[in-house]
Amino acid sequence: MVVVAIKKKCKKKHIPDSSASALKALTTAAIILPGMMPTVEAYENEVTIQYGHYEEEERDLYGMVNDGQVDGTLDLGAPVGIVPIKVDKLAKKKLPSPKPITVDSLFLQAKVSLSDRLKFTGNYSEDTWSGASPIATAPVGFGSNNLVQETVNGPVTGASPYLENPKPYFDAQYNPLRLDVNHPTAPKRIYSQDDQLVHTLAMASPETRKQGDFKLRYEFNEAAIDVGGGISIENDYESWFVNWGGSLDLNQKLTTLSFNQSYTNSTTSALLDHDAYQYFSTFAYKDQIEQGTPSVTLGESTHQTLFGEREDWSTTLGVTQVLSKSTLFEASMNYTNSSGYMENAYKAMYVFYIDPNQDPTKVPPGVLTGDTRAFLEQRPDERNQWSWGFRLVQHVAPLDAAINLNYRFSLDDWGINAHTIAMDWVQPLGRGWTVTPTVRYYSQDTADFYHPYLISKHAVGTEEENYNNISENNFSSDHRLSGYGALSGGVVLSKEFAKGLTLEAGFEYYTHEGSLKLGGDGEGSYADFNSYSANAAIKVDLSTVGRAISYGDHSHHMNHGTPAPAGVMFAHMLPKAGEVMVGYKYKYSRQAGDMLQGNDKIPDSDILNSTCGGGACYVAPDKMIMHMHMFNVMYAPTDWLNLMVMPTFVDMSMDMRDLAGMNNPNRVDDELGYAAVIHASHEHMTGGLGDTNLSALFKLYDNSAHHLHLGLGFSAPTGDVEIELRRTHGEDLGLIHYGMQIGSGTWDFTPNITYTGNSDKWSWGTQLSGIVRLESQNESGYRLGDKFQSTAWGSYNLLNWLSMSVRGVYTSQGALHGEYNDVHSPIGPMDSPESYGGEYYDLGFGINAMIPQGDLAGNSLSIEWIQPMEDDVNGYQLEREGTLSVNWGYMF
Amino acid sequence: MFTVFKLQITYRLLCILFISLGLSACSVAPWERGNLSKPQMALDSHPLQTGFRGHVYGSREATTGSTVGAGGGCGCY
Repeated sequence: MVVVAIKKKCKKKHIPDSSASALKALTTAAIILPGMMPTVEAYENEVTIQYGHYEEEERDLYGMVNDGQVDGTLDLGAPVGIVPIKVDKLAKKKLPSPKPITVDSLFLQAKVSLSDRLKFTGNYSEDTWSGASPIATAPVGFGSNNLVQETVNGPVTGASPYLENPKPYFDAQYNPLRLDVNHPTAPKRIYSQDDQLVHTLAMASPETRKQGDFKLRYEFNEAAIDVGGGISIENDYESWFVNWGGSLDLNQKLTTLSFNQSYTNSTTSALLDHDAYQYFSTFAYKDQIEQGTPSVTLGESTHQTLFGEREDWSTTLGVTQVLSKSTLFEASMNYTNSSGYMENAYKAMYVFYIDPNQDPTKVPPGVLTGDTRAFLEQRPDERNQWSWGFRLVQHVAPLDAAINLNYRFSLDDWGINAHTIAMDWVQPLGRGWTVTPTVRYYSQDTADFYHPYLISKHAVGTEEENYNNISENNFSSDHRLSGYGALSGGVVLSKEFAKGLTLEAGFEYYTHEGSLKLGGDGEGSYADFNSYSANAAIKVDLSTVGRAISYGDHSHHMNHGTPAPAGVMFAHMLPKAGEVMVGYKYKYSRQAGDMLQGNDKIPDSDILNSTCGGGACYVAPDKMIMHMHMFNVMYAPTDWLNLMVMPTFVDMSMDMRDLAGMNNPNRVDDELGYAAVIHASHEHMTGGLGDTNLSALFKLYDNSAHHLHLGLGFSAPTGDVEIELRRTHGEDLGLIHYGMQIGSGTWDFTPNITYTGNSDKWSWGTQLSGIVRLESQNESGYRLGDKFQSTAWGSYNLLNWLSMSVRGVYTSQGALHGEYNDVHSPIGPMDSPESYGGEYYDLGFGINAMIPQGDLAGNSLSIEWIQPMEDDVNGYQLEREGTLSVNWGYMF
Repeated sequence: MFTVFKLQITYRLLCILFISLGLSACSVAPWERGNLSKPQMALDSHPLQTGFRGHVYGSREATTGSTVGAGGGCGCY
């Protein structure tokens, strides 16, 4: 836990009103004189935690999602010579449009002064996204987005994310025609020109990206140099980067020159859409595609991976100039050279092959028919971008506000010229509040190689002939390369508390429209979309807190011996009224090894012969990993009561394997079995904001040797329980495995009672805790089992700063109640509600270090490994391997 | 030494440019910099928002600005 406890009686005096803040600013100016630029890095020791959410609204699909309500087989009795239209024999059920893209982000930052001149910044960030995004574009009359169908009585199966009619019609000028059949029982064909385009959307299963980076800065009197680097990891994209630069202050710091350079190296290893690569030509990339290891069950490879390498070199030069006592100006210039594979491996281009010499007896007069092929997009292998930015910051004296104007122009050799204009009005309101309305406009030109779709005036031929008959060398239908404008507006609200604690929240609404493009001529409205982003952050300025607290007061924390082991929650109470604590706890848990039934290891044949979620079992979990980040803010209004809020951020991944015996023809020929095997060849991931706990801790008894407190809390269902897997191989698995949903989905009651004691070098404690679900089911139709846990520990101080602990834990959790109420196809034991919960016995070994003096005084680090001793599971479950808990603390 | 000399020349040229644009400039004494040191006058007053929003723009717009070199991954969605 990042523990920052602050004592009220010795807090730094805060001057809230605006006249006082002017005084404060002058004082600050005096301290940093001569004339140092205002800088956001004023805090030398600071911890920041930020959570963000991005969500797009549904795109307009012009009624192309599952609106067909066709019953039975339809024979159109087509005119002579025209290929009859094959209408699906399956009745289609109207299903909701695919969920749009949502992204959950976590950002953690620590800034530390390693010495007077050497500053370190460490960042960790994580994004998880899921939902549907456009992969290609076609005329609406061709019927794209034939996404999901349901047989009359059978399971949900899916057609390909492809056109319903792969033999579309055009007029003699190659304009797309829409074919309507006016009455199904007495069919008559009507061809009409319809230029309306529509995206083909494809759904993506959740994916997580993680990034760690750092910056080291050395400050001279009138200059600074910095170096940094980091790595970003996704399943299909990995990049590492280094950067270096410096700044030089001139003329009593009225002018600052800056220089930055960076190098980024990125590798794409994209698992191609299993549905798509059967009809998306990958011809151009045949040397970059590798077949996966053959599946034992299927005797063939189930996946293809496209590899690509990319490099980016970027150089930025900047000058910042004080223009007057209330005006600041910045100009910057950037040049970026990118080379290598810059495509998005999931985007395709439809090419319609129209033979100009069609047999006139086979088509109505004035109508041409074509053939559809799709190709993975192809972008140039090099890109040079230049941009120039200008910023003016003007103090507005009557309101003591600042107006921040920013303009950037960028151009590149892909033909994309772009303008960005942004304005922020930063308005301090007094009492530490600042409100900042923001507005931004962006406009870009169309890339030279952007086309919604392509027409080739050739008869369709072999794959190679088709590829060679594409008139363009490069092509992409990614609407991010089209011409459009984007207008967004938002607000940022921040509040700085006296204790060096700042809360900040931001919101922005964003509109992307072809018609907003500067100078007109933007892409059609089919590519328009709206989105919003919201985020909240907490910043703790450790320097302010450090200055505010007298060191001698630390001792009160020692009254109750060493802190509880890292894995124990709700074990610590703030002893004095007015104290505030901010904490961070990280938990990693891992399951791998054998499948268990009760407490016995069982062979796969037992699972294969049982049922999973009411159906057959095909796969079993092989490894499951969970990372959980917990943050808490705790406040003591009185010395017997603590109030606490604890948001969490979670990500999980699961690897699966085919059950032994799956290569039985009955199983493999089963469509769901086939889809299950395909799914087992890649990892499933989820992530995002988890549930949020709100608790109150009541002190029941306290003296120097013994302490007893009661916790009463609630867990709010802020975590998602509606996460879905993408449909693959024509099979919609729907909602993901129960255990991979992020939250419980129900309001839960979380009581606990904790006793701690100490004598000389020994400390000990015990805790009983529980989770009681307060609702019978969540919005997905089930609820998790109630949970009870008891634990007891002892610890011994080896040195005055180092202690070790041993702990026993008993946990009992009930099975899942109810089941999913939406599309869900069980494929393994993790899809059975009865295969959750059980009784668990664990031993924990912990180490706890506290630094009593020196620069790092007040820091503590606790680590605990929880080793499973015995499992007695409900149903069939994967063995647990252990849990690691880490608390980092900063105590006052 | 030569570099510093060149920088001074550049600086003077900048000042001449700014003055010719009618901006009172280039001679703000340290004790006149109270406003400039206020947090709202920072070049980037909300770096957390800049980072978060920049990441969103970067995954939805074709120009990356100068975010290359700071990571951000593929944005392949």
